[in-house]
Amino acid sequence: MLSQLSVFIENKKGNLVRVTQILKENDVDIRAIAVFDTPEFGILRLIVIDPQKGKEVLNEKGYSVRLGEVIGIELTDELGSLNTVLELLSDNDITINYIYSFVLRKEGLPVMVMNVNDMRSAKETLEKNGISLYK
Amino acid sequence: MIWNEHIECMDREQIEKLQSQRLCEMVERVYYNVPFYRKKMQVLGLEIGDIKGIEDLHKLPFTTKDDLRENYPFGMFAVPMSQVVRVHASSGTTGLPTVVGYTRNDLSNWSEIVARALYGAGVSKEDRIQNSYGYGLFTGGLGLHGGAEKVGATILPLSGGNTRKQIQSLVDFEPTAISCTPSYLLYLAETLKEEELLDKIKLRVAILGAEPWTENMRKEIEKQLNIKAIDIYGLSEIMGPGVSFECINQCGSHIAEDHFIPEIIDPKTLKPLPRGSEGELVFTTITKEALPLFRYRTKDLSSLIYETCECGRTSVRMTKITGRTDDMLIIRGVNVFPSQIESALLEIGETQPHYMIYVDRVNNLDTLEVWVEVDEKFFSDEIKQLEALTRKITKQIVNIIGISVKVKLVEPKTILRSEGKAKRVVDRRHI
Ligand SMILES: [Zn+2]
Repeated sequence: MLSQLSVFIENKKGNLVRVTQILKENDVDIRAIAVFDTPEFGILRLIVIDPQKGKEVLNEKGYSVRLGEVIGIELTDELGSLNTVLELLSDNDITINYIYSFVLRKEGLPVMVMNVNDMRSAKETLEKNGISLYK
Repeated sequence: MIWNEHIECMDREQIEKLQSQRLCEMVERVYYNVPFYRKKMQVLGLEIGDIKGIEDLHKLPFTTKDDLRENYPFGMFAVPMSQVVRVHASSGTTGLPTVVGYTRNDLSNWSEIVARALYGAGVSKEDRIQNSYGYGLFTGGLGLHGGAEKVGATILPLSGGNTRKQIQSLVDFEPTAISCTPSYLLYLAETLKEEELLDKIKLRVAILGAEPWTENMRKEIEKQLNIKAIDIYGLSEIMGPGVSFECINQCGSHIAEDHFIPEIIDPKTLKPLPRGSEGELVFTTITKEALPLFRYRTKDLSSLIYETCECGRTSVRMTKITGRTDDMLIIRGVNVFPSQIESALLEIGETQPHYMIYVDRVNNLDTLEVWVEVDEKFFSDEIKQLEALTRKITKQIVNIIGISVKVKLVEPKTILRSEGKAKRVVDRRHI
């Protein structure tokens, strides 16, 4: 499964940049970033090359960080491939907590990142049905 | 188990009669032996004969920690040093330590009240007790020691610190009881768990005190160690541990009323409050020889329960300390203590939270905002859980202080840290 950093941030100007700046200064390469927010605070979710180091450098600067697992799915460039995945999960009673996507720089393929209520069974279901997971 | 049934189960009328008699004797002793109090009484126009019983208690002057500091070290002692057989001291966060003294009778009374506490917790001569309170100027170690000796328990005088030795003693000497601070016991429990030694110990009960702790901590300790966690309360100015104690019913701490008269006052007006109200706890020591104190303001917030306890004791019980009266705020006419907000946060996080209280006035209405740093152990990856946390904190605070509050989650380390006593309140009302 894919490791994801979740960072608590206040919804204030410049807070997002401060996090990415810290990662950059420490050579932690960011693959994907997504912000989920309310009027007052937000959760910044990041896929980085070295998540453990990312957590350490952010902790050092005082951020609350959680290292969690998400599923990354490599979508093929076919019509309806996302729909297939969502149907598979739904048919197996797996609910999605959140979902976002990013594009791999070299291959140019989209990767869907998702967090679901039952990670293990989601992974099994997808693999059984020949969906390739991004690691 | 009741150590001194005659006193602990005495009916109200009799105990009050005993208190009245002891109070009158104390007033006379103090007037002639403590210049500090004599002067105070003279200023108030109070004569020895004006105090005829506990109904006159409210006429006596209050005593504060500052009074003890101003008479540092021995200025308020009521006996010559030749009769003082021991001295303890508590270090304050600021300034001079508070020094207290004991005569031989004082020490004997102290052992007596700690013996009551141990019996209340079910500890007797059949038990082995590991005393992990520090032995020294601090009253915890020697205080517990005296009581344990009195009931005849086998004492393992470990004193504080040196976790290695503590663990070894718990495993090899198999104590059935332990006395220490609740946070240290949690630490010992974690160590035992890590080293897979939990099934090697024989602990049944813990007598915990010397720091504020919450019901959540109690649950955690009881669950992790499969024991009963019993609260013991005390402060060195009054005596040390044993001023009050919980019985196994854990429903408020029984006060040794034959030695200390408790009162609950409004910390602002200093007027005694009706029975059952919450306010500042005040003690008058009616048997102390070396350092008798009139109406000592503990700054602890509590209330008193006069009903007979299920255990059969009639002695008045004080509820668990909900906060300190320092830095009291008046918001929309309601007394609010930062410590109440802290205790609400403690109930949720179980450890020292970082928070700041902002009071403002918008359109002639006082507003209260509490900013809480999102610690990693609170932090969830889901927005809805963070929102639920905000609601939970809000509800907990409202339950304790009774007025509405806006809770805001902020990034860690964004609230200013200060050396020593932390600044917790920003009052922007300019009143
Ligand atoms: Zn009881």
